[in-house]
Amino acid sequence: MSFKNILENFSYYRRDAEDGGHHEYDHRFGMTIDLDICTGCNSCSTACYAENNLAVVGKERFEKGQAMHWMRVERYWDNIEGDYAEEGAKFLPMLCQNCGAATCEPVCPVAATYHTPDGLNAQVYNRCIGSRYCSNNCPFRVRYFNFWSYYEDSWPEPLNMQLNPDLSVRDKGVMEKCTFCIQRIRTAKDKAQREERVMADGDVVTACAQACPTGAIVFGDTMDPDSRVSKLWEKHQVHRGPFLQKKDKTNEEIRGYRIFDELNVDPSILYLERVRDTEV
Amino acid sequence: MQVERRTLLRKLVCSLRGRMRMKTVTIKQLLSFSVLAFVVSILPAKSYAELPVPAHITPPVGEHESPIVPQPIEFPHDRHVNDMKINCMYCHTYARRSKVAGIPPTSKCMGCHKVIATDKPRIQQLTEYWEKGESPKWLKVHDVPDYVHFTHEKHIRKFVFDEKFPVEDVQQVCGLCHGEVRGMTVAEKKKPLNMGFCQRCHEANGGPGDCWACHK
Amino acid sequence: MSVKVNRRKFLKMLGWGGAGTALTGCDLPTTVTLEEGKEEVVSYLMPEEYAIPGIGVWYASTCTQCEAGCGLHGRVREGRVLKVEGNPDSPVNHGKSCMMGQSTVQSHYNPDRITSPMMRKGSTLQSVSWDEAMSALTSKIGPDSGVKGDRVGMITGTVSGHQAVIIDELLAQVGSKNHYVHEVINTSVWSSVCRDMLGDEMPKLNYDKAGVILSFGADFLGTWISPVHNMGEYAKFRKGARGSLIQVEPKMTLTGGNADLWIPAKPGTEGALALGIANFIIERGWNAVDVPSSIAKTLNQYTLTAVEKVTGVPVNKIKRIASMLTERAPSLVIAGASTENHENGYDAVASVMLLNLIMGNIGKTIEASAKFPEKALRAKQGNTKDLLLLAKALKDNKLDVLFTYNTNPAFTAPAVLQVSEGLSSVGFKVAFSMFPDETTLQADLVLPIHSGMEDWGTHVPAYQPDTSSVLSLQQPLMEPIHKETRGFGDIMLSMLKLRNKNFGDFPDYYSYLQTAVANMPADVTGSVEGASKDIWSNVLQKGIVKAKASANALTPKLVDMKFKVKHDNSGYPMHLVPSARLGLWDGRHANIPWLQEFPDQIAKVVWGSWAELHPKKASELGVKNGDYVRVTSASGSIEAQVYIHKGIHPDAVSVPMGQGHDEFGRYAKGRGVNPLKILNPLMERRTGELATHATRVKVTNAHKHEKLVHLGGSETQVGRKFVKTISVDQLRRTEGEA
Repeated sequence: MSFKNILENFSYYRRDAEDGGHHEYDHRFGMTIDLDICTGCNSCSTACYAENNLAVVGKERFEKGQAMHWMRVERYWDNIEGDYAEEGAKFLPMLCQNCGAATCEPVCPVAATYHTPDGLNAQVYNRCIGSRYCSNNCPFRVRYFNFWSYYEDSWPEPLNMQLNPDLSVRDKGVMEKCTFCIQRIRTAKDKAQREERVMADGDVVTACAQACPTGAIVFGDTMDPDSRVSKLWEKHQVHRGPFLQKKDKTNEEIRGYRIFDELNVDPSILYLERVRDTEV
Repeated sequence: MQVERRTLLRKLVCSLRGRMRMKTVTIKQLLSFSVLAFVVSILPAKSYAELPVPAHITPPVGEHESPIVPQPIEFPHDRHVNDMKINCMYCHTYARRSKVAGIPPTSKCMGCHKVIATDKPRIQQLTEYWEKGESPKWLKVHDVPDYVHFTHEKHIRKFVFDEKFPVEDVQQVCGLCHGEVRGMTVAEKKKPLNMGFCQRCHEANGGPGDCWACHK
Repeated sequence: MSVKVNRRKFLKMLGWGGAGTALTGCDLPTTVTLEEGKEEVVSYLMPEEYAIPGIGVWYASTCTQCEAGCGLHGRVREGRVLKVEGNPDSPVNHGKSCMMGQSTVQSHYNPDRITSPMMRKGSTLQSVSWDEAMSALTSKIGPDSGVKGDRVGMITGTVSGHQAVIIDELLAQVGSKNHYVHEVINTSVWSSVCRDMLGDEMPKLNYDKAGVILSFGADFLGTWISPVHNMGEYAKFRKGARGSLIQVEPKMTLTGGNADLWIPAKPGTEGALALGIANFIIERGWNAVDVPSSIAKTLNQYTLTAVEKVTGVPVNKIKRIASMLTERAPSLVIAGASTENHENGYDAVASVMLLNLIMGNIGKTIEASAKFPEKALRAKQGNTKDLLLLAKALKDNKLDVLFTYNTNPAFTAPAVLQVSEGLSSVGFKVAFSMFPDETTLQADLVLPIHSGMEDWGTHVPAYQPDTSSVLSLQQPLMEPIHKETRGFGDIMLSMLKLRNKNFGDFPDYYSYLQTAVANMPADVTGSVEGASKDIWSNVLQKGIVKAKASANALTPKLVDMKFKVKHDNSGYPMHLVPSARLGLWDGRHANIPWLQEFPDQIAKVVWGSWAELHPKKASELGVKNGDYVRVTSASGSIEAQVYIHKGIHPDAVSVPMGQGHDEFGRYAKGRGVNPLKILNPLMERRTGELATHATRVKVTNAHKHEKLVHLGGSETQVGRKFVKTISVDQLRRTEGEA
């Protein structure tokens, strides 16, 4: 991209999200999380720590809200009228929604967070200056800031030998967040290219989806109509795009929804409603 | 089988120290945001006439001066490349298959040097390592920052295999980023290998421009 | 431009030089990167053709974090293992893994590993060479030491495969029968009941075939039998016709958190509830299988109102459960720790099993399991009965030599059993250990062993989830990190060689395993592809061996049940629930930083201990979240911060196991409290197990407060719909499976 390019294609680059944005996507990676079979076991979160070099911050920093859990499992107690939580707890795996019209992107003063041709909100760590505007602008609270140089004490030798070399270890002053395991996407693309074929559904599995013992997390390309994730989006009548979608009236009870859809941010994660048997 | 496997596992190829030092921001990132930086991209490229790479490939531009890095064995690239006509990828065998080109395993050195030039002090030094069952600890010369994802494989594929460039002349392609290694003893860094150097080449030759194509 | 400019200086320059400097933008060298001659790069000495630097290679192995025996694939790059995933070929976990499995790497790379043998000299443990350690071992337990018979003991966690074989062999050589197999988180009582009532200790449970699962405290998604396998089956159970889950327990476990209906029965009365349900079903004639009149007569006394009075579960709920079991047949009724571990635990579990019998679930949702053909390799499952036996042996001074492996009785034993004190009466204690835990540090000789990712082994899971039985191979994923650690099998072999020269044929445990696996009978290795000489390499590749299993049928049979337990509990009005959590488990993973940092699934507390209380109880005591309470039993007391929620019975206080280590490395030591320490020495009457849930306590306000460190700003969604819930009825209408 050059300055000349911007001038020549100005009308293209200023297209708004509702007009499809200015992106020519190769892929649009998305996810489906079925809250009915998610057990809240934390496997996804652990797998994420292992894959993405996430720092352990310790009790004192955890208390200050500085934990680096890109994938965290929230637990809510709601609507408990009686003496007991008879319906169990409500678990919610929360991670970066990789929004199509992300609120974090336009506020970055140095364009360290931007949209990739794969439909991801990417964070370029070495470009980040730590203004934290993105985090303040994120409705999901899924951006994590390195308040400290965690590498100094998070991986005492030989724990550091586990660090994934496909990914940098972030230093103090850098914002970080879930990348949909971009390094796995890269590896899968390279592999497909080497084998002279197009990437197929299932070539990329994020660490969380791979670990999930119940298979509640499905990851794939929402632009590939044959991918598992596309089929789930289709089935639950949720489509890419920033605006609140009208569902088929006869089927208003289908389970798919996106969190904060009303903010028009076009999240890439489709949640399927939790089901409870009220007859018991 | 087990013995081999254990030997295999013993050697760590990459040092960890490097990955622990990603820093917040460097000036070049700040500046790359500046429109002024784009000016760089339209500066006329210097021609690299002595290398007969295909004419439609614009070689990356940039020079770098650096002190010679002291290596455990003063390996003479000139002797191997110029005099013996050994292909780069004979020793750096992973270049076409992986991110890293790879330092040749000591067993490969010994393949020849069990019999060749055994009287030379450098070879005796090598033999000493071999007999101890160790590999020399080389120092990295061409090092990119920890937040950079560079893959030899793709570059070799594009500039050598896709171009049907004769593999026997591969050092001319390698030389685009590694300089005239055939004229050096131990490798010296002659190209800056910084973002501008990479970026200009990517723009001129249609490489990806997405940040995450090269950053990690 | 080669001038070195650091960042601060450069910013100054930018201020002065402005655009002129900026022109070179991307080309400027910085001090932090782009450096030459700073990093070392070491080549392979001799490469394997499949190992390419920069590209990960996957090896199959077995997870050793709990005893479920999940198959693993480890990603190895440049000689280091970076990440593990489940082995898709394993019928146990089908490619999936839990948080403990994922954390294997942090156990392996743990900074607090023991790196050299240590011997007690005076009062301290000092590093010694292996030669010195082995000669001490030889002189103390070798053929000339005079040690023999039952004066030698070994305490381990659950063991199976060839490790079990060599342990047996060693004890047989010295003529001892004292192999104590100890696990706090176990299913011993369940297994005893299954053995007596079904003729199979570990029947196969078909969660996916059940219309409704009624679980009496079996945390099958978290800590019961084979959690990862169970979670996969649970997903199948929820999909399709969507079965319903009813969980009865005093404290909400992970499974309880996922229940459609969660019921807190009064702690220790689960058996009565099961009998009440059975009685109601029989009264209504809903039972699928005829019930002998003698049983029906016994059940008569468990009328709805009587059961409501005993258990605190309202009559309408009991009726509802009974009709659910009938309408949604087949059902699956199971029982776990909070039902098993009372003094009448066996009878309670038997009452639960009775429900399966009368509802005709046997053969449908409960089937005979596949048994591994080689009996010697089958799992020896840990329990707490052996802990009590060990405590007694120590007290009576019956042991001269004690080996410890893969278990930490000094931590898990209640203080009143005086195991720690008793250990000092043993003349020579040898610990095979990776970490300086409480038991290891009391040993006279500490032998540092390889981690699960450095060692060889075979594992036969106790719970066999498939029609064929499986043996899972554990192979090293990388070279040992520390020079001075050795494989458990290797050390055992060298001890075996002292008395039996035949073992001299095997230079190491690897060659022993290779020979043993390749020479297993055809009904074991028949499924492995390739000629007999390729068996070993094929097994290495796949990681598992599927063996033919003998076809058995379950033989349902009733047992007598007696419930009366009387204790004077005056002064101790509350029930202590020492809960187990997927993560720290019984405390063995407290030294893994990830698992300390991951919130408990229900309380969401990190890095410490807490006591769960019902809001009613909390307001009685005048405590709020973060206040400290003192939990006192007849055997001791502990203090912990309170976490208040409605997922616990008001008469119960739950303190999770896992913390409260006095030793065990930087991440575990001195953190939180161990509820096991204050347990009363009560025994389950029929099995002799420690009744871990039977201890009565009193809870008092300790008048101290600290912020409770936990995940999440708010306990509710504050009206926002992050997690939306629909009824099963709506689901059926729209997704149309019913």
